[in-house]
Amino acid sequence: MGAGASDLAGMELGKVARAGLGELPDLCAAEVLLHLDAPDICRLARLNLAFRGAAAADFVWEAKLPKNYSYLLGFVAGAEEGERSDMGKKDIYARLAKPVPFDDGKREFWLEKSTGSISMALSSKALVITGIDDRRYWVQMPTTESRFHSVAFLQQIWWFEVVGEVDFCFPAGTYSLYFRLHLGKSSTRFGRRICSSERIHGWDRKPVRFQFSTSDGQHALSQCYLDEPGSWILYHVGDFVASNSEQPIKLKFSLAQIDCTHTKGGLCVDSVLIYPKGFEPERVIRAQK
Amino acid sequence: MASAGESGDGADGKGVTTITIISSDNEAFEVLEAAASMSLTIRHLIEDGCADGGIPLPNVTAGILAKVLEYCSKHVAAVAASSEAGSSSNAADAAAAPEKEEDLASFDKAFIDVEQDTLYDLLMAANYLEVKGLLDLACQKVADMIKGKTPDAIRQTFKIKNDFSPEQEEKIREENQWAFE
Repeated sequence: MGAGASDLAGMELGKVARAGLGELPDLCAAEVLLHLDAPDICRLARLNLAFRGAAAADFVWEAKLPKNYSYLLGFVAGAEEGERSDMGKKDIYARLAKPVPFDDGKREFWLEKSTGSISMALSSKALVITGIDDRRYWVQMPTTESRFHSVAFLQQIWWFEVVGEVDFCFPAGTYSLYFRLHLGKSSTRFGRRICSSERIHGWDRKPVRFQFSTSDGQHALSQCYLDEPGSWILYHVGDFVASNSEQPIKLKFSLAQIDCTHTKGGLCVDSVLIYPKGFEPERVIRAQK
Repeated sequence: MASAGESGDGADGKGVTTITIISSDNEAFEVLEAAASMSLTIRHLIEDGCADGGIPLPNVTAGILAKVLEYCSKHVAAVAASSEAGSSSNAADAAAAPEKEEDLASFDKAFIDVEQDTLYDLLMAANYLEVKGLLDLACQKVADMIKGKTPDAIRQTFKIKNDFSPEQEEKIREENQWAFE
Protein backbone atom coordinates (compact mmCIF):
# COMPACT_ATOMS: atom_id res chain seq x y z
CA MET A 1 0.00 0.00 0.00
CA GLY A 2 2.23 2.80 -1.22
CA ALA A 3 0.97 6.21 -2.23
CA GLY A 4 -2.72 5.97 -2.80
CA ALA A 5 -6.15 6.18 -1.33
CA SER A 6 -5.24 4.09 1.69
CA ASP A 7 -2.64 6.66 2.79
CA LEU A 8 -5.30 9.36 2.87
CA ALA A 9 -7.57 7.36 5.10
CA GLY A 10 -7.74 8.93 8.53
CA MET A 11 -5.75 12.05 7.59
CA GLU A 12 -7.10 15.49 8.35
CA LEU A 13 -7.13 17.98 5.49
CA GLY A 14 -4.39 20.55 5.77
CA LYS A 15 -2.13 18.40 7.95
CA VAL A 16 1.15 17.19 6.49
CA ALA A 17 0.94 13.54 5.48
CA ARG A 18 3.19 11.54 7.77
CA ALA A 19 3.31 7.89 6.87
CA GLY A 20 3.34 5.55 9.83
CA LEU A 21 3.43 1.87 10.61
CA GLY A 22 -0.15 1.66 9.48
CA GLU A 23 0.94 2.54 5.98
CA LEU A 24 3.75 0.10 5.36
CA PRO A 25 4.16 -0.91 1.75
CA ASP A 26 2.90 -4.44 1.09
CA LEU A 27 6.33 -6.03 1.07
CA CYS A 28 7.33 -4.43 4.37
CA ALA A 29 4.05 -5.40 6.00
CA ALA A 30 4.64 -8.95 4.79
CA GLU A 31 8.15 -8.90 6.31
CA VAL A 32 6.59 -8.04 9.68
CA LEU A 33 4.08 -10.85 9.25
CA LEU A 34 6.93 -13.34 8.89
CA HIS A 35 7.61 -12.69 12.58
CA LEU A 36 4.05 -13.44 13.71
CA ASP A 37 2.17 -16.69 14.22
CA ALA A 38 -0.96 -17.71 12.31
CA PRO A 39 -3.53 -16.45 14.83
CA ASP A 40 -1.84 -13.02 15.01
CA ILE A 41 -1.68 -12.78 11.21
CA CYS A 42 -5.38 -13.60 10.99
CA ARG A 43 -6.13 -10.88 13.53
CA LEU A 44 -4.18 -8.41 11.40
CA ALA A 45 -6.17 -9.40 8.33
CA ARG A 46 -9.15 -7.78 10.02
CA LEU A 47 -7.51 -4.35 10.40
CA ASN A 48 -7.97 -2.81 6.97
CA LEU A 49 -7.82 -3.61 3.28
CA ALA A 50 -4.09 -3.17 3.05
CA PHE A 51 -3.27 -5.52 5.94
CA ARG A 52 -5.79 -8.01 4.68
CA GLY A 53 -3.86 -8.09 1.41
CA ALA A 54 -0.51 -8.50 3.13
CA ALA A 55 -1.96 -11.19 5.43
CA ALA A 56 -3.00 -13.22 2.39
CA ALA A 57 0.46 -13.13 0.78
CA ASP A 58 1.60 -16.56 -0.34
CA PHE A 59 5.18 -16.07 0.77
CA VAL A 60 4.12 -15.33 4.34
CA TRP A 61 2.22 -18.63 4.61
CA GLU A 62 4.73 -20.64 2.61
CA ALA A 63 7.26 -19.80 5.32
CA LYS A 64 4.88 -21.23 7.92
CA LEU A 65 3.85 -24.40 6.13
CA PRO A 66 5.79 -27.62 6.73
CA LYS A 67 8.19 -28.33 3.87
CA ASN A 68 6.20 -31.37 2.75
CA TYR A 69 2.81 -29.67 2.68
CA SER A 70 2.04 -31.11 -0.78
CA TYR A 71 2.42 -34.61 0.59
CA LEU A 72 0.23 -33.74 3.59
CA LEU A 73 -2.39 -32.16 1.34
CA GLY A 74 -2.55 -35.45 -0.54
CA PHE A 75 -4.38 -36.96 2.44
CA VAL A 76 -7.15 -34.38 2.30
CA ALA A 77 -10.22 -36.00 0.80
CA GLY A 78 -11.71 -34.06 -2.05
CA ALA A 79 -8.61 -31.98 -2.70
CA GLU A 80 -8.16 -32.97 -6.34
CA GLU A 81 -4.97 -32.08 -8.22
CA GLY A 82 -6.58 -29.13 -9.96
CA GLU A 83 -8.12 -27.77 -6.78
CA ARG A 84 -4.85 -28.08 -4.94
CA SER A 85 -2.96 -25.95 -7.42
CA ASP A 86 -5.62 -23.24 -7.04
CA MET A 87 -5.35 -23.12 -3.27
CA GLY A 88 -3.45 -20.16 -1.87
CA LYS A 89 -0.88 -21.00 0.76
CA LYS A 90 -3.06 -19.47 3.47
CA ASP A 91 -5.94 -21.76 2.46
CA ILE A 92 -3.60 -24.75 2.59
CA TYR A 93 -2.49 -23.77 6.09
CA ALA A 94 -6.10 -23.34 7.20
CA ARG A 95 -7.08 -26.72 5.74
CA LEU A 96 -4.18 -28.58 7.36
CA ALA A 97 -4.94 -26.89 10.69
CA LYS A 98 -8.18 -28.88 10.79
CA PRO A 99 -7.77 -32.60 11.57
CA VAL A 100 -7.12 -34.59 8.38
CA PRO A 101 -8.48 -38.12 8.77
CA PHE A 102 -6.93 -41.07 6.98
CA ASP A 103 -6.83 -44.85 7.21
CA ASP A 104 -10.59 -44.93 7.07
CA GLY A 105 -10.94 -42.38 9.82
CA LYS A 106 -8.93 -44.46 12.30
CA ARG A 107 -6.08 -41.96 12.26
CA GLU A 108 -5.77 -38.24 11.82
CA PHE A 109 -3.12 -35.53 11.75
CA TRP A 110 -3.28 -31.77 11.97
CA LEU A 111 -1.13 -28.66 11.99
CA GLU A 112 -0.73 -26.93 15.36
CA LYS A 113 -1.96 -23.43 14.47
CA SER A 114 0.58 -21.40 16.39
CA THR A 115 3.70 -23.35 15.56
CA GLY A 116 2.97 -25.02 12.22
CA SER A 117 4.16 -28.40 13.51
CA ILE A 118 2.32 -31.62 12.82
CA SER A 119 0.60 -33.76 15.45
CA MET A 120 -0.99 -37.14 14.87
CA ALA A 121 -3.49 -39.37 16.67
CA LEU A 122 -4.16 -43.07 16.14
CA SER A 123 -7.44 -44.40 17.52
CA SER A 124 -7.62 -47.68 19.41
CA LYS A 125 -9.06 -49.11 16.18
CA ALA A 126 -5.78 -48.42 14.42
CA LEU A 127 -3.89 -50.43 17.03
CA VAL A 128 -3.52 -54.22 17.25
CA ILE A 129 -4.90 -55.18 20.64
CA THR A 130 -4.61 -58.81 21.74
CA GLY A 131 -8.06 -60.23 22.40
CA ILE A 132 -9.91 -57.14 21.15
CA ASP A 133 -12.63 -59.23 19.55
CA ASP A 134 -13.38 -61.20 22.68
CA ARG A 135 -16.07 -59.42 24.65
CA ARG A 136 -14.98 -61.19 27.81
CA TYR A 137 -11.83 -59.12 27.63
CA TRP A 138 -12.40 -55.90 25.66
CA VAL A 139 -15.44 -53.75 24.82
CA GLN A 140 -15.71 -50.64 22.69
CA MET A 141 -17.03 -47.78 24.77
CA PRO A 142 -18.49 -44.64 23.20
CA THR A 143 -17.33 -41.49 24.96
CA THR A 144 -17.09 -37.75 24.46
CA GLU A 145 -13.63 -37.77 26.01
CA SER A 146 -11.91 -39.16 22.93
CA ARG A 147 -11.33 -37.35 19.66
CA PHE A 148 -12.44 -40.61 18.05
CA HIS A 149 -15.60 -40.76 20.19
CA SER A 150 -14.89 -44.31 21.28
CA VAL A 151 -12.27 -46.05 23.39
CA ALA A 152 -11.34 -49.67 24.03
CA PHE A 153 -12.14 -50.66 27.60
CA LEU A 154 -10.33 -53.61 29.16
CA GLN A 155 -12.47 -55.61 31.55
CA GLN A 156 -9.90 -58.21 32.39
CA ILE A 157 -7.19 -60.17 30.62
CA TRP A 158 -3.97 -62.05 31.36
CA TRP A 159 -2.14 -61.10 28.20
CA PHE A 160 -2.32 -57.34 27.86
CA GLU A 161 -0.63 -56.13 24.71
CA VAL A 162 -1.28 -53.17 22.42
CA VAL A 163 0.85 -52.76 19.32
CA GLY A 164 0.90 -50.12 16.60
CA GLU A 165 2.74 -48.94 13.52
CA VAL A 166 3.02 -45.68 11.64
CA ASP A 167 4.59 -45.08 8.24
CA PHE A 168 4.63 -41.39 7.45
CA CYS A 169 6.70 -38.47 6.22
CA PHE A 170 6.94 -36.26 9.28
CA PRO A 171 8.19 -32.71 8.73
CA ALA A 172 11.75 -32.55 10.05
CA GLY A 173 11.85 -32.15 13.81
CA THR A 174 11.69 -33.99 17.12
CA TYR A 175 8.53 -35.72 18.24
CA SER A 176 7.28 -37.55 21.33
CA LEU A 177 4.98 -40.59 21.22
CA TYR A 178 2.42 -41.29 23.96
CA PHE A 179 -0.30 -43.80 24.83
CA ARG A 180 -3.39 -41.99 26.09
CA LEU A 181 -4.79 -44.15 28.87
CA HIS A 182 -7.34 -43.88 31.67
CA LEU A 183 -7.70 -46.15 34.68
CA GLY A 184 -11.38 -46.64 35.40
CA LYS A 185 -14.54 -45.86 33.51
CA SER A 186 -15.96 -42.38 33.42
CA SER A 187 -19.50 -41.28 32.82
CA THR A 188 -21.59 -38.18 33.26
CA ARG A 189 -24.47 -38.10 35.68
CA PHE A 190 -26.49 -34.92 36.21
CA GLY A 191 -23.83 -32.95 34.36
CA ARG A 192 -21.03 -34.15 36.63
CA ARG A 193 -18.19 -36.43 35.65
CA ILE A 194 -18.22 -39.62 37.67
CA CYS A 195 -15.41 -42.14 37.70
CA SER A 196 -15.96 -45.77 38.50
CA SER A 197 -13.00 -47.79 39.68
CA GLU A 198 -14.75 -51.12 40.16
CA ARG A 199 -12.86 -53.07 37.56
CA ILE A 200 -9.41 -51.64 38.17
CA HIS A 201 -7.05 -54.40 39.24
CA GLY A 202 -3.69 -55.97 38.58
CA TRP A 203 -1.71 -52.86 37.67
CA ASP A 204 0.12 -52.65 40.94
CA ARG A 205 1.51 -56.17 40.70
CA LYS A 206 3.93 -55.60 37.85
CA PRO A 207 4.78 -52.57 35.71
CA VAL A 208 3.72 -52.25 32.09
CA ARG A 209 6.46 -52.16 29.47
CA PHE A 210 6.70 -49.58 26.68
CA GLN A 211 8.73 -50.31 23.57
CA PHE A 212 9.45 -48.12 20.62
CA SER A 213 11.63 -48.32 17.52
CA THR A 214 12.04 -46.56 14.20
CA SER A 215 13.13 -47.70 10.76
CA ASP A 216 16.31 -45.65 11.11
CA GLY A 217 17.48 -47.21 14.31
CA GLN A 218 16.08 -44.99 17.04
CA HIS A 219 14.54 -46.89 19.92
CA ALA A 220 13.37 -46.68 23.50
CA LEU A 221 12.39 -49.14 26.20
CA SER A 222 10.86 -48.30 29.54
CA GLN A 223 8.41 -49.48 32.14
CA CYS A 224 6.16 -48.03 34.79
CA TYR A 225 3.17 -48.77 36.97
CA LEU A 226 -0.09 -47.41 35.64
CA ASP A 227 -1.64 -45.07 38.16
CA GLU A 228 -3.80 -42.01 38.79
CA PRO A 229 -7.25 -43.50 38.20
CA GLY A 230 -9.88 -41.07 37.03
CA SER A 231 -7.66 -38.99 34.74
CA TRP A 232 -6.52 -39.25 31.17
CA ILE A 233 -2.77 -39.65 31.19
CA LEU A 234 -0.28 -39.43 28.36
CA TYR A 235 2.26 -42.18 29.01
CA HIS A 236 5.48 -41.22 27.28
CA VAL A 237 6.90 -44.02 25.15
CA GLY A 238 9.81 -42.31 23.46
CA ASP A 239 11.09 -39.49 21.31
CA PHE A 240 12.21 -39.67 17.71
CA VAL A 241 13.85 -37.33 15.26
CA ALA A 242 12.52 -37.02 11.73
CA SER A 243 15.52 -35.73 9.83
CA ASN A 244 14.02 -35.38 6.37
CA SER A 245 10.51 -34.25 5.43
CA GLU A 246 10.78 -36.07 2.11
CA GLN A 247 11.58 -39.45 3.60
CA PRO A 248 9.00 -41.67 5.29
CA ILE A 249 9.87 -42.95 8.72
CA LYS A 250 8.38 -46.18 10.06
CA LEU A 251 7.54 -46.30 13.76
CA LYS A 252 6.71 -49.40 15.77
CA PHE A 253 5.53 -49.18 19.35
CA SER A 254 3.91 -51.34 21.96
CA LEU A 255 2.51 -51.39 25.44
CA ALA A 256 2.41 -54.72 27.25
CA GLN A 257 1.95 -56.51 30.52
CA ILE A 258 2.01 -60.19 29.71
CA ASP A 259 2.71 -61.74 33.07
CA CYS A 260 0.05 -64.43 33.03
CA THR A 261 0.09 -65.13 36.76
CA HIS A 262 -2.48 -62.41 37.28
CA THR A 263 -5.22 -60.64 35.40
CA LYS A 264 -5.46 -56.92 34.95
CA GLY A 265 -8.36 -54.73 33.91
CA GLY A 266 -10.35 -51.54 34.31
CA LEU A 267 -8.31 -49.63 31.73
CA CYS A 268 -9.44 -47.42 28.85
CA VAL A 269 -7.12 -47.28 25.87
CA ASP A 270 -8.00 -44.22 23.83
CA SER A 271 -5.23 -43.58 21.36
CA VAL A 272 -1.60 -43.14 20.53
CA LEU A 273 -0.52 -39.53 20.13
CA ILE A 274 2.48 -38.10 18.39
CA TYR A 275 3.19 -34.52 19.39
CA PRO A 276 6.09 -32.18 18.67
CA LYS A 277 8.51 -32.63 21.55
CA GLY A 278 7.65 -30.32 24.41
CA PHE A 279 3.97 -29.96 23.50
CA GLU A 280 2.07 -31.53 26.41
CA PRO A 281 -1.59 -30.60 26.41
CA GLU A 282 -2.43 -33.16 29.12
CA ARG A 283 -0.79 -34.77 32.13
CA VAL A 284 2.30 -36.71 31.06
CA ILE A 285 3.92 -39.58 32.91
CA ARG A 286 7.40 -40.64 31.93
CA ALA A 287 8.32 -44.24 32.54
CA GLN A 288 11.63 -45.40 33.98
CA LYS A 289 14.23 -46.71 31.57
CA MET B 1 35.95 15.26 0.41
CA ALA B 2 37.67 12.10 -0.70
CA SER B 3 35.31 9.18 -1.14
CA ALA B 4 36.76 5.72 -1.56
CA GLY B 5 39.99 6.93 -0.08
CA GLU B 6 42.63 6.63 2.55
CA SER B 7 43.74 3.06 2.35
CA GLY B 8 45.67 3.17 5.55
CA ASP B 9 47.85 0.23 6.45
CA GLY B 10 47.81 -0.63 10.07
CA ALA B 11 50.68 -2.42 11.73
CA ASP B 12 49.10 -5.77 10.86
CA GLY B 13 48.91 -4.85 7.16
CA LYS B 14 45.11 -4.56 7.10
CA GLY B 15 43.74 -1.90 4.69
CA VAL B 16 41.06 0.41 5.98
CA THR B 17 38.84 1.85 3.27
CA THR B 18 36.17 4.39 3.96
CA ILE B 19 33.16 5.32 1.88
CA THR B 20 31.12 8.51 1.83
CA ILE B 21 27.36 8.26 1.90
CA ILE B 22 25.20 11.31 1.23
CA SER B 23 21.70 11.64 2.70
CA SER B 24 18.68 13.03 0.86
CA ASP B 25 19.18 16.34 2.68
CA ASN B 26 22.79 16.53 1.57
CA GLU B 27 24.66 15.52 4.69
CA ALA B 28 27.76 13.42 4.10
CA PHE B 29 28.75 10.50 6.30
CA GLU B 30 32.11 8.79 6.16
CA VAL B 31 32.09 5.16 7.22
CA LEU B 32 34.19 2.06 6.89
CA GLU B 33 33.53 0.27 3.61
CA ALA B 34 32.94 -2.90 5.58
CA ALA B 35 30.18 -1.22 7.59
CA ALA B 36 28.57 0.38 4.52
CA SER B 37 28.66 -2.99 2.77
CA MET B 38 26.23 -4.40 5.30
CA SER B 39 23.75 -2.69 3.02
CA LEU B 40 23.45 -4.87 -0.06
CA THR B 41 22.23 -1.86 -2.02
CA ILE B 42 25.37 0.11 -1.15
CA ARG B 43 27.61 -2.91 -1.64
CA HIS B 44 26.35 -3.34 -5.21
CA LEU B 45 26.91 0.34 -5.93
CA ILE B 46 30.49 0.04 -4.64
CA GLU B 47 31.08 -3.06 -6.72
CA ASP B 48 29.70 -1.31 -9.79
CA GLY B 49 32.24 1.44 -9.25
CA CYS B 50 29.65 4.08 -8.39
CA ALA B 51 31.25 5.10 -5.11
CA ASP B 52 33.41 7.92 -6.47
CA GLY B 53 32.35 11.26 -5.11
CA GLY B 54 30.17 9.61 -2.54
CA ILE B 55 27.02 7.52 -2.76
CA PRO B 56 23.83 9.60 -2.77
CA LEU B 57 20.74 8.13 -1.13
CA PRO B 58 17.74 10.19 -2.23
CA ASN B 59 15.37 8.18 -0.03
CA VAL B 60 17.08 8.42 3.33
CA THR B 61 17.30 11.53 5.50
CA ALA B 62 20.38 12.34 7.58
CA GLY B 63 18.80 11.42 10.92
CA ILE B 64 17.83 7.93 9.81
CA LEU B 65 21.00 7.38 7.78
CA ALA B 66 23.05 8.19 10.87
CA LYS B 67 21.19 5.53 12.82
CA VAL B 68 21.47 2.92 10.08
CA LEU B 69 25.22 3.54 9.79
CA GLU B 70 25.53 3.35 13.59
CA TYR B 71 23.88 -0.09 13.47
CA CYS B 72 26.15 -1.25 10.65
CA SER B 73 29.32 0.03 12.28
CA LYS B 74 28.48 -1.63 15.58
CA HIS B 75 27.68 -4.95 13.95
CA VAL B 76 30.71 -4.95 11.67
CA ALA B 77 32.95 -4.23 14.67
CA ALA B 78 31.32 -7.12 16.57
CA VAL B 79 31.90 -9.53 13.69
CA ALA B 80 35.54 -8.44 13.46
CA ALA B 81 36.02 -8.85 17.21
CA SER B 82 34.50 -12.32 17.28
CA SER B 83 36.56 -13.55 14.34
CA GLU B 84 39.64 -12.22 16.08
CA ALA B 85 38.62 -14.03 19.23
CA GLY B 86 37.97 -17.16 17.18
CA SER B 87 41.42 -17.17 15.64
CA SER B 88 43.07 -16.11 18.86
CA SER B 89 44.63 -18.76 21.01
CA ASN B 90 43.94 -16.59 24.01
CA ALA B 91 41.52 -18.33 26.34
CA ALA B 92 40.32 -15.02 27.75
CA ASP B 93 39.27 -13.90 24.27
CA ALA B 94 37.33 -17.09 23.70
CA ALA B 95 35.66 -16.80 27.09
CA ALA B 96 34.62 -13.23 26.31
CA ALA B 97 32.74 -14.29 23.15
CA PRO B 98 29.33 -15.05 24.69
CA GLU B 99 29.58 -11.85 26.72
CA LYS B 100 30.16 -9.88 23.51
CA GLU B 101 27.08 -11.55 22.00
CA GLU B 102 25.08 -10.35 24.97
CA ASP B 103 26.49 -6.83 24.49
CA LEU B 104 25.33 -6.87 20.89
CA ALA B 105 21.90 -8.10 21.93
CA SER B 106 21.61 -5.28 24.50
CA PHE B 107 22.75 -2.81 21.90
CA ASP B 108 20.09 -4.03 19.47
CA LYS B 109 17.40 -3.90 22.11
CA ALA B 110 18.22 -0.32 23.09
CA PHE B 111 18.79 0.68 19.47
CA ILE B 112 15.32 -0.34 18.33
CA ASP B 113 13.54 1.10 21.35
CA VAL B 114 12.38 4.19 19.47
CA GLU B 115 9.19 6.05 18.70
CA GLN B 116 6.83 4.69 16.09
CA ASP B 117 7.76 7.33 13.51
CA THR B 118 11.45 6.49 13.83
CA LEU B 119 10.71 2.77 13.81
CA TYR B 120 8.77 3.20 10.58
CA ASP B 121 11.62 5.18 9.01
CA LEU B 122 14.20 2.62 10.13
CA LEU B 123 12.12 -0.24 8.74
CA MET B 124 11.69 1.48 5.40
CA ALA B 125 15.39 2.43 5.23
CA ALA B 126 16.51 -1.09 6.16
CA ASN B 127 14.25 -2.46 3.45
CA TYR B 128 15.44 -0.01 0.79
CA LEU B 129 19.10 -0.39 1.73
CA GLU B 130 18.74 -4.16 2.19
CA VAL B 131 20.33 -4.38 5.62
CA LYS B 132 18.92 -7.76 6.59
CA GLY B 133 19.85 -7.71 10.28
CA LEU B 134 18.28 -4.30 10.82
CA LEU B 135 15.18 -5.20 8.81
CA ASP B 136 14.69 -8.33 10.96
CA LEU B 137 15.25 -6.29 14.13
CA ALA B 138 12.71 -3.64 13.13
CA CYS B 139 10.14 -6.16 11.91
CA GLN B 140 10.47 -8.17 15.11
CA LYS B 141 9.91 -4.97 17.11
CA VAL B 142 6.75 -4.20 15.17
CA ALA B 143 5.64 -7.83 15.54
CA ASP B 144 6.17 -7.60 19.30
CA MET B 145 3.90 -4.54 19.36
CA ILE B 146 1.22 -6.56 17.59
CA LYS B 147 1.42 -9.96 19.30
CA GLY B 148 -1.65 -10.99 21.20
CA LYS B 149 -3.51 -7.72 20.68
CA THR B 150 -7.06 -7.54 19.40
CA PRO B 151 -7.62 -5.84 16.03
CA ASP B 152 -9.10 -2.80 17.78
CA ALA B 153 -6.12 -2.47 20.09
CA ILE B 154 -3.75 -2.75 17.13
CA ARG B 155 -5.69 -0.05 15.27
CA GLN B 156 -5.31 2.23 18.27
CA THR B 157 -1.59 1.59 18.67
CA PHE B 158 -0.81 2.30 15.04
CA LYS B 159 -3.63 4.74 14.35
CA ILE B 160 -5.02 2.62 11.53
CA LYS B 161 -8.39 3.41 10.08
CA ASN B 162 -10.87 0.62 9.54
CA ASP B 163 -11.80 0.92 5.88
CA PHE B 164 -14.11 -2.10 5.73
CA SER B 165 -17.86 -1.97 5.30
CA PRO B 166 -19.77 -3.90 7.99
CA GLU B 167 -20.51 -6.67 5.48
CA GLN B 168 -16.87 -6.90 4.47
CA GLU B 169 -15.83 -6.94 8.10
CA GLU B 170 -18.15 -9.82 8.87
CA LYS B 171 -16.95 -11.76 5.83
CA ILE B 172 -13.32 -11.29 6.82
CA ARG B 173 -14.00 -12.29 10.41
CA GLU B 174 -15.58 -15.51 9.15
CA GLU B 175 -12.81 -16.35 6.73
CA ASN B 176 -10.21 -16.01 9.49
CA GLN B 177 -12.17 -17.76 12.21
CA TRP B 178 -10.34 -21.05 11.64
CA ALA B 179 -7.26 -19.65 13.37
CA PHE B 180 -9.14 -19.26 16.65
CA GLU B 181 -11.07 -22.49 16.84
